[in-house]
Amino acid sequence: MERSEEYIKNERKQEWRVELQKKTKAKDRMAIERVEMHEMAPEERIKSQRVEVNIGLSKEEAMLEATRCMDCVNPTCMEGCPVSINIPKFIKNIERGDILGAAAVLKETSALPAVCGRVCPQEAQCEARCFYVEKLNLKSVAIGHLERFAADFERESGVISVPELAEPNGVKVAVIGSGPSGLSFAGDMAKSGYDVTVFEALHEIGGVLKYGIPEFRLPNAVVDVEIENLRKMGVKFITNYIVGQTASLDDLKKEGFKAFYVGSGAGLPRFMNIPGENSNGIMSSNEYLTRVNLMGADSEESDTPILRGKNVVVVGGGNTAMDSVRTAKRLGAERAMIVYRRSEEEMPARLEEVHHAKQEGIEFLTLTNPIEYIADDNHRVSQIKVQKMELGEPDASGRRRPIPMEGSEYTIDATVVVVAVGVSPNPLIPNSVEGLEVSKWGTIEVVKDKMQSSIPEVFAGGDIVRGGATVILAMGDGRKAAANMDVYLKEKYLSKKVEL
Amino acid sequence: MKEFNSLEDILDFAINEEQLAADFYTELAGKMKHQEMKNTFEQYALEELGHRAKLEAIKNGKKYKVSEAKIADLKIADYLLDVDVDKTNITYQEALILAMKKEKIAFRLYNDLASAAIDEPSKKLFLMLAQEEAKHKLRFEVEYDSNILTEN
Repeated sequence: MERSEEYIKNERKQEWRVELQKKTKAKDRMAIERVEMHEMAPEERIKSQRVEVNIGLSKEEAMLEATRCMDCVNPTCMEGCPVSINIPKFIKNIERGDILGAAAVLKETSALPAVCGRVCPQEAQCEARCFYVEKLNLKSVAIGHLERFAADFERESGVISVPELAEPNGVKVAVIGSGPSGLSFAGDMAKSGYDVTVFEALHEIGGVLKYGIPEFRLPNAVVDVEIENLRKMGVKFITNYIVGQTASLDDLKKEGFKAFYVGSGAGLPRFMNIPGENSNGIMSSNEYLTRVNLMGADSEESDTPILRGKNVVVVGGGNTAMDSVRTAKRLGAERAMIVYRRSEEEMPARLEEVHHAKQEGIEFLTLTNPIEYIADDNHRVSQIKVQKMELGEPDASGRRRPIPMEGSEYTIDATVVVVAVGVSPNPLIPNSVEGLEVSKWGTIEVVKDKMQSSIPEVFAGGDIVRGGATVILAMGDGRKAAANMDVYLKEKYLSKKVEL
Repeated sequence: MKEFNSLEDILDFAINEEQLAADFYTELAGKMKHQEMKNTFEQYALEELGHRAKLEAIKNGKKYKVSEAKIADLKIADYLLDVDVDKTNITYQEALILAMKKEKIAFRLYNDLASAAIDEPSKKLFLMLAQEEAKHKLRFEVEYDSNILTEN
């Protein structure tokens, strides 16, 4: 409703926006070069897991980049944003120097702007729909960099705004899982006046943002500030609480919770099922990254051990594979290698991550597929037997699929192997809630765009529904679920006098 | 190796094999703990019955031909470990592995029979059957490639 065309148009007609539109001609805006993100030097950053690669923009750089934005009548960039951020409005606030105002615009619809500014694949979403790309075939406005700048500026200023909240309505809702989807849902429900409690199985809040994404891409401190903001909005967090084991949904109902949002993620690692995969030294990317990111195993003082090896192979080509292999480099691997069975063009990882990995000396063995792990006498992996692949003719779907090349097998030395070939949904809720419809993939079935499951009071979103997607898509699900659960609860409990 | 005395004999054998495969999946469906995997194996059983019906139509006179085009072999099944079929909590990944491997075995059988066939009509029939199995295997391999090896 707040994202209606009329709303967007009226916002664009605000006096200050009109003044900015007149202030700089379109051709002068177009003449400005897209800003480059500053980066820590590769040889420096690989010394520590805790040194962030991207450094951010200065205020002057951000204001200049914001000037590139045309403030389009029809801002197609917004259509590319799963949480419908009013992109021109926040960017124009940066252009006029009101950075805190820009941050407040981000928070209208995003619970985690500093996170999204770092890990969203903007190049495939909002930036792909930018006027510069769609109409001029030029580089898009650096929306992601600007988002990060505004969110960081606010955090560093210490003047952190809390969104406007509706009057408390006394209806209790539970969120299962504190990843991006659950946090986004919690923020929207708190804004609508609900009494929100988030249950988290681990000892830290943040889900995949904490256990999955390394600090060199997303510092935990950044996540913590966004969580603190939700606390200020009244969201309660309970850690070390496994819904489905510590308590069932029925137990929570007895405690007065009227509806549930399941955002329990896809934390079940997938393996390839090839010979030797049970050897010591072979682990999932979930395990590897959790040990380092969540448990701090890279530090000498940590009680959590981590296997370090001279030759580390990471199997896979997604962002998780990049995170794992770059972590291995930071843990001292001499050779940190990606083994991926398709070509580099088909890697699902963000281009930026591949670029950074290459800068850091990561080796890429593409069109190469592991077929067997060879262990030493102590059952510790020592080599991987791989085979070369070639891309076949396009099939009916138009996709070229990798096919093994006969007689191309060879071995690679490896003392640590991290398998990052994909993840499956956490099975606990799907398996423990009677009547919940689940797909053959183990994902919870929901009504599209409503996010409501086969049990009316249970909504779900993020990876438990999608089976593995991006932070921002998970957040978009959280927002949709919140809007629809609000309608459901209002009809059921708030439109007439019902004892809560 | 089994001996076949007529083309009808060959088709009867193949029809029975499809029925056995359908029975195998139906039995697995009955054992599964979770409804979604029961549904999956019931679906596989239906697909096998569909293959049986196709062969029955040929037995009843429907024309068939051996395609010149080679069916793609992604060879995914070749390197994967066997699935324990006694489990009651088979995952969808394991279900696909199981199906790929079954189709591969059937493909090899008909291919071998085609090589051993002494008359041209039998050879042609075995090759057609082998192609059918290769297509079935490819259907599972493509699904595995698209949905299981998502990041690889």
